[in-house]
Amino acid sequence: MHARELFDIRNALRKQEIIFAYSGPVTETVLSGVGEAIKQKLVIDDADTKTLRSVFAVFVEQMQNMIRYSAEKVPIGDTESPFNEIMRYGILTIGREGDGYVIHAGNLVSHSDVERLRERLSKIRSMNKEELRAVRKERLRGDPEEGSKGAGLGLMEIARRASKPIEFDFSDVDDEHAFFTLKAAV
Amino acid sequence: MQNLSIPASARTPAVDFDFGKNHLKLSGESYPEDVTEFYHSVFSALDTYLAALGAGHCRFDFELIYINSSSAKAIMMLMDKLDAAAAKGATVDVYWFYDEKDDTMQELGEEFGEDLENAKFHLEKMPG
Repeated sequence: MHARELFDIRNALRKQEIIFAYSGPVTETVLSGVGEAIKQKLVIDDADTKTLRSVFAVFVEQMQNMIRYSAEKVPIGDTESPFNEIMRYGILTIGREGDGYVIHAGNLVSHSDVERLRERLSKIRSMNKEELRAVRKERLRGDPEEGSKGAGLGLMEIARRASKPIEFDFSDVDDEHAFFTLKAAV
Repeated sequence: MQNLSIPASARTPAVDFDFGKNHLKLSGESYPEDVTEFYHSVFSALDTYLAALGAGHCRFDFELIYINSSSAKAIMMLMDKLDAAAAKGATVDVYWFYDEKDDTMQELGEEFGEDLENAKFHLEKMPG
């Protein structure tokens, strides 16, 4: 019974040419461990240096965005403590697409953040490499946007490393949340 | 002043500031869990050194393989400090070494180099 269910999940991933999938709490420790595994896997796949570094770079920014912003979160430890940490949840997959790779990340966001995020991503998506470079430099010098702990830069880094325009989508989950996905091909 | 030497870790670069030889180097990968925490000691050592440099000469080598977006901000701040010292009379040579197999790091070097007004910028391939 268990074997069958898990095997079905595995097959569903394989059918989509997903070579790596993680779903659960996203933490810096997970980033470190999974990051090393991804590097090893890409070396075994014989990916060229630039592809390997780009997949890794996109992975790092996607994970750090989820670690900082996922709206699906639980406090860890003493809930009364001001030093109480928060653990957030997300899903990340890496798959094959043609000759390259595609990194897909998903997490919950509040409905109230959807419009701002959509606007920011549409803007980044519409920029060519030169425009991206100019805006990125400006952002590097300026203060982070309101409500952002530096996500503007992270999203731009993803777009810069991607071989095609980034893709994103939102799907309503409940009254408070939407599920947000961001896809980057390398 | 005392040299600053921090060995590389999986997510942080090696710091090799030889103040006696006026030769400073940052090499490897940079995507620390906490960028501010990691770069704090690097910034404060550099500030102290540059404040006393006067019209002296300093060489700074960046030999970075990969940096994440928040580290890019820290690197820009390092560049600004070096440029400010050069504006005050020091001779500052900034070397940015890139792996020719990854042109993203070359472009990043160019972007940082464009902003240097007083320090001299050198863009070079990593040897070997």
